[in-house]
Amino acid sequence: MKLHPEIIKHFHSTTFTTPIIGVTGGKGGVGKSTVAVNLAAAFVAQGRRVALIDADVDAPNDSLLLGIPLENPEPVTIMQPIFDLEKCTDCRKCVKACQMNSLFRPQAKHITLMGECNGCEACYLVCPAEAINRGSHSVGTLYKSEQGKLTLYTGALQPGLAESALVVNAVRDAAFAEADQFDIILVDTAPGTHCNVISALKGADHVLAVTEPTPLGSHDLELILSLLEMFAMQRSVVINRSDLPGKKEKVQQAAQASSAPIAGEIKLDKDLLAGYLQGTPVVDLLPNSSAAKIFLKMADHLTATYPNRSKQASQGVS
Amino acid sequence: MKEIVILSGKGGVGKSSLTAALAHLLTEKGTRLTLADTDVDAPNLHIVLEAEFDRSTSVTASDKAMIDYEKCSRCMRCVDACAFESIIGDKKPIIISYSCEGCGVCALVCPEEAVSIHPVENGKINFVTSGAVRVVAGELGIGESSSGRLVDIVKREARQEASLSGSDLLLTDGPPGIGCPVIAALKGSDYAILVTEPTPSALSDLQRITEVVRGVGIPAGAVLNRSDMDQKSASTTLDWLARNDVPLLGTIPYDPYLPKALARGALAVNMYPDAPSSLALRNLHKMVEGLFD
Repeated sequence: MKLHPEIIKHFHSTTFTTPIIGVTGGKGGVGKSTVAVNLAAAFVAQGRRVALIDADVDAPNDSLLLGIPLENPEPVTIMQPIFDLEKCTDCRKCVKACQMNSLFRPQAKHITLMGECNGCEACYLVCPAEAINRGSHSVGTLYKSEQGKLTLYTGALQPGLAESALVVNAVRDAAFAEADQFDIILVDTAPGTHCNVISALKGADHVLAVTEPTPLGSHDLELILSLLEMFAMQRSVVINRSDLPGKKEKVQQAAQASSAPIAGEIKLDKDLLAGYLQGTPVVDLLPNSSAAKIFLKMADHLTATYPNRSKQASQGVS
Repeated sequence: MKEIVILSGKGGVGKSSLTAALAHLLTEKGTRLTLADTDVDAPNLHIVLEAEFDRSTSVTASDKAMIDYEKCSRCMRCVDACAFESIIGDKKPIIISYSCEGCGVCALVCPEEAVSIHPVENGKINFVTSGAVRVVAGELGIGESSSGRLVDIVKREARQEASLSGSDLLLTDGPPGIGCPVIAALKGSDYAILVTEPTPSALSDLQRITEVVRGVGIPAGAVLNRSDMDQKSASTTLDWLARNDVPLLGTIPYDPYLPKALARGALAVNMYPDAPSSLALRNLHKMVEGLFD
């Protein structure tokens, strides 16, 4: 995929100066959320006001890992057509316009919405009889939960629906609208290299790609680093479970090939696991543990590097 | 032929490792099977299986809008009409292809008929072989969208492969999450195996995927991987399964031999047949055999 320079510029542009740090990784289960919640706790420990966006809307878990209950639910809605059958002239233009093939008008029956509707409004636009009204349909929920200096924005897709992308955009936009209240914004993405991961990382000043030294980890790291390169994102690599009996060199080679420094190495650690199971970041649970120190050090380094979005970054890279 | 899909909601709980181990044990006992890798973002089954590459075909499973700038009058109506914020620009509209849904609204509002919708290539399908097992794996292009439609095609190809080779079983390794590729992987299956591990996060994701599977009306059972990781979480998960009538197909203890084998590009069931996880997998495989007998 080749990107137009205007798209890259648009991707990096924001209306605020709060730095954005993304946490992603290609593969699932490598520790993205563990890194995200512990970094959030480390920034709070430094006295910063932190927004954490849980953009893994299929499987949002940051609230569990932080031990913060989900609060302030708001529905994420999309337009869904409602047919006024009195006005409908049966011209079937809406059926033809629907690229999702979601509209049906069976023989001798009324028009109905039968499949997935993504709310594009094509049917509404083409109807010559004004027989379609804009209804609304909930595809997920947004939550805003606060605990001291940490504000968690969570997006949750409604199980059974396919509209992950819309929920990702909604949770990101909700946090960005209040960006000025924070010293730093952290974004935890879904696994993978698809459009939802890109949407979650919109505007990121730096992205941490979390991986582990297994053949699967290095394979997926290569993919995610290619994606970050494509969008001209500053990037570094965090090696989790670095003492697994795998080939760490493969991970190092992938990082080097993509000019991504190693930002940190985290060993298999029972303290970290205890925090994970208990719903308290290890940074809070055992601030003097070696695992906590790694996150505090990473947070120090990130704040020193990104005190605020530079003028160039906020206007987009050229 | 029966179709079983392996899902988890959460990533990294061991879907691919379980798929590979089951495939090995089932073929050992004479079951003819075909595998489908529908984790199109991070297809890993071929690595776990040490499979050999056969061939690859590119797939056009995505529609995108395109603008003919010769015709475009720069009225910018398309920018305002797009519900997905996929057209940008002040002086000239530019389509952000990765988030374009191909819905065609931009083409509908364009007074100059300068916009059209075209199918574009968004990935490929790799055909690989591991011993007697054929694997059909989807691979989404980096940064591409429409993974659900790509998964549909992977399943179609895998079904064809399975029927040509006279398979008894099509085993599908699903993607993480509960969104559109997961729903596509699940469609048409006879049974879903839900993999989980004893952590609060994995339980939350298991609850969400169970809701999706129930919604489509497909029977499901669960496998508790790394079952001895945490006693308290394990009993919470087992309680939840019992209370919600999700049968437990088996538990697999955490096993240091697993990563050891994976690091060497081999299967633990093969390399360390007496390892704790291998013994547990042998029991599990009998349960799975029973599902399609």
